[in-house]
Amino acid sequence: MSASRPLLFPLCQLTPGATGRICEINGDENFSQRIREMGFGEASLVTKISGNSTSLCQINGTRIALNHGAAMNILVELIPAVSR
Amino acid sequence: MDNAEDPPPAVAHSSDALTLPAHITPAGKKRPSAVPDRTPVYAMVGNPNCGKTTLFNSLTGLRQKVGNYPGVTVEKKIGEVFSQHGRPMKVVDLPGAYSLAARSPDEAVLRDVLLGRRLDTPQPDRIICVVDASNLERNLYLVHQILDLGRPVIIALNMMDLAAKAGIIVSAKKLEAELGVPVISCEAVRGRGVLELKLAMSRVDLALAKHRWDVPAAIAPAIAELQASLVDNDQRPALIARAEALLLLTDLDTVRVAGSTPLSARTTEVLAKWSRRSEATARTWSSTLISSRYAAIGRLCQDVIRRTGQSGPSISDRIDTVLVHTFWGWLFFGLIMAAMLFSIFTLAEYPMNWIDGHMALLGAWVKNSMTPGDLRDLLTDGVIGGVGGILVFLPQILILFFFVGLLESTGYMARAAFIMDRPMSKVGLHGKSFIPLLSSYACAIPGIMATRTIENAKDRLVTILVAPLMSCSARLPVYLLMIATLLPSTTVPTTTKVGIMFLMYALGTTGTFAFAWLFKRTLFKSDPPLMIMELPPYQPPRLKDILRQMAERGWLFLKNAGTIILGISIILWFLTAYPKHPDYTASSDAQIAYSFAGRAGHTLEPVIRPLGFDWRIGIGLITSFAAREVFVSSMGVIFGVEGADDNILPLRDALRAAKTSDGRPLFTPLVCITLMVYYVFAMQCMSTVAVVKRETNSWKWPLFQIAYMTGTAWLLCLFIYQTGRALGF
Repeated sequence: MSASRPLLFPLCQLTPGATGRICEINGDENFSQRIREMGFGEASLVTKISGNSTSLCQINGTRIALNHGAAMNILVELIPAVSR
Repeated sequence: MDNAEDPPPAVAHSSDALTLPAHITPAGKKRPSAVPDRTPVYAMVGNPNCGKTTLFNSLTGLRQKVGNYPGVTVEKKIGEVFSQHGRPMKVVDLPGAYSLAARSPDEAVLRDVLLGRRLDTPQPDRIICVVDASNLERNLYLVHQILDLGRPVIIALNMMDLAAKAGIIVSAKKLEAELGVPVISCEAVRGRGVLELKLAMSRVDLALAKHRWDVPAAIAPAIAELQASLVDNDQRPALIARAEALLLLTDLDTVRVAGSTPLSARTTEVLAKWSRRSEATARTWSSTLISSRYAAIGRLCQDVIRRTGQSGPSISDRIDTVLVHTFWGWLFFGLIMAAMLFSIFTLAEYPMNWIDGHMALLGAWVKNSMTPGDLRDLLTDGVIGGVGGILVFLPQILILFFFVGLLESTGYMARAAFIMDRPMSKVGLHGKSFIPLLSSYACAIPGIMATRTIENAKDRLVTILVAPLMSCSARLPVYLLMIATLLPSTTVPTTTKVGIMFLMYALGTTGTFAFAWLFKRTLFKSDPPLMIMELPPYQPPRLKDILRQMAERGWLFLKNAGTIILGISIILWFLTAYPKHPDYTASSDAQIAYSFAGRAGHTLEPVIRPLGFDWRIGIGLITSFAAREVFVSSMGVIFGVEGADDNILPLRDALRAAKTSDGRPLFTPLVCITLMVYYVFAMQCMSTVAVVKRETNSWKWPLFQIAYMTGTAWLLCLFIYQTGRALGF
C-alpha cells in the first residue's frame, strides 16, 4: 500500500456512469462473505448505473442491485475516466 | 464407499501435503466405475439464473416428481432420464446457490444433500454443474467447492450465446483439458447440448477432476483436525469430511434446516475451538479461503476465456434504462400490475361463464333424471354445487399464475423487486421480500416458499407473517360473489367492479405493509437489512415453461377442489341436512336452523352479530377456515337448499333474496363490504397454517398469525359495520 491512501467513499455516493474499485467491505460477516463469494471482493471494478437509495451496478458483466444499507458498507475509490 | 478405508487424517500438517490425497486425484486417470447396480443419482446444481431449471426440464421432460423436502418448504424436484443404453437415471434438481456456505434455507438444502446429511434424499453419485458462460468465474466458484467433494462431475456450459454476444468466448475444450471433466456447451433455452449432456451422463466411467488446490497454510491445521473428527465421530468418508470441514469453518453452520442430521458433540467442540482462534486473527479465514479459491479460478480461466474487446451495451442493458428508470420504471410497473388485475376480471369472464353454464346444466340434468331424495340432494347441492362453485375460478387463477410465471421467466421480477426496494425499505424490509409478496397475490403458499431466498431470519419471518395478507386468488371467489351481490351486472359497468376489487387488493396490500412496519419495530427489531440481488439478463418468455408451471399449479388447485373441497361440501351438506327437523313439512330454512351446521352457526352468532353477520354467514366462516373459497360453496349449499326445487338459481340471486329473521335483506351493501373486508384480513386457510408451521418449525408463529389476522379482521369489520349503521347505510 502506498503512503497516500486514496480517498474512499461508499458505493452509494458513486455518481451514475462512474467506475470505482472496491477497497473495503464492511458490514456483518455473513454479508461481506457472501458479497466476496459472488466475486465482488476487494480490487474488483464496479460501475454505477443508476439509483440513489437502491443502487444498480455492473460488476464483472453482471447487474447487481444493492440496497442503501449494503451500498453504504462497500467503500470504493474512484477511477478517473481517462485511465480506463 | 470406495474411500472408506482411508486413514482418517487424510490431510497432513505440512503444507505440501495439503492437496487432495494422491490416490483420489490421479490426474487424468480414471477410477473404477462408481456406478453401482442401483439407479444412478445425478444432482443438478448451479448459481441462480444460470438456466438450470430450463435444462432440467428439457432433460427430463414430463418425467418429474415435484414435492418438498420434509421439514422445509424447499421444492424437491426429481426427474428421470434414460441413458444412451436405455438405463434409467435419476436427476435431482437442487436449489440455485452461489456457494455451499449456506446463507438461506434453500442453500442449506443444497449443502446437506451434497454432503449426504439428509436421510430423505439419496446422496448423489454424480453431479452436473450448470454454469453461465457469460459469467464464468463467479459460476466456477460453486463448481470449485463441489470439486472438493471428489465426485464425478459434468459441467454444462450454458448460455454460450449470451456470452458470445457480450464479447466473451469460452472454450469448452480448454476448460475440459484444465479440469479433466466433461464440459458440454449448451443453450438450454433452445434445447442445444441436451443430447450431448445425456451421452456424457450415460458414460459408465467418468473421470474425476484434476482438482489440485492448496488450502491456505493458515487454515490447514484447523481443516485437518476437523476432518479427522468428522471421519471419527460423524462417520463421513474422508473426502466429504475434508469438504465439510472447509465449509464448517466459513459457514459456522448458521443455517440449519429440519430433516438434516446434526453434527456430533466432539466435532462441534473442535469447531468451536477453531472458530474462537479464527476470530483472533486479523484477516478472517473465510475471506482468505474465498480469495484463494478465486485466485485458483483466475489461473484456470486464463486460457479458457477470451474477450473480444468491449461490445456496446447489451439489449438487456438498453431495456433496463427504461424499465428501472425512476419515472418510466414506475409507470411500466403500474401498467403491468393494472394489466394483470384487469385481465383477471375481463378475459376470464368467458371461460367462467362457460363453466358456470355447464355446471348448472349438469345440476339440472341430475335433478331431472333422479328420483327426489337425499342422494339426489347430495349430488346436486353438495357435489355439483360445491365443486362447481370453485371450478369456476380456475380461469382466473390460471391467468394469475400466467402473469407471475411471465414476470419470473423474463427476468422482470427482479426488476420489480429493485423498483419496490425503496418503498419496502420504509417498512424495514428490502426489495427481495417483494417477490414473495407478489406471489402471494396468487397464493400465500408459493409466496411463503419464495421467502427461502431471504437470508436474514428475522426479515424472513416478518415476510412469512404478513404474506397471507396479500389478497390471494382464493379470496377472489368471495370478492366476486360479494361484488356481484352488491351490484347488478347489467347496469353497472365493469370498471366499477374492477374498482371495488382494486380497493380490496389495495386494502390487503396496505395491511401487509402496515403490519410489516409494526412487526419490524416491535417484535423483530434488527438493523436495516442488507440486500444484494442479481438482475438476470432479460430473456424472451419461455411459453412452454410458463404453461408447464400453470398446468402444475392449476392441477394442484383442481386436486384440492376434487378432494378437500369436495369433502367439505359433502360434510357440509350432511351437517345442513341432519338431524332432520321433527316436522317433516318444515321449510328448508327451518331445517338448516335445526341442523348441526345451524347450531354451530347459532353458537358463533353472538360473536359476529356486531359485524352484521348472521348464523348462516357464520357457517360459511367456520367452513371456510379450511380454505377461503369454500365460503362460496358453503353459501351455495346453505342458500341453494332454499331455492326452488326444479331449478338451480344462480347463487347471487339467492343471496340477494336472502332475508334475516326479521325480514330485512341479509346481504345489504354494507354487509357485503364488511364481509369482503373480513376476508381481506382474516386468516382463513388451513394449508397456509400448515406451511407456516413447517417453515418456522413451531406452532407459535402460525397461532400468532391466526390471532393477529383474524383479530384485526374482527375489529376492522366492527368499526366499518357500526360506523356504516350509524351513518344510516
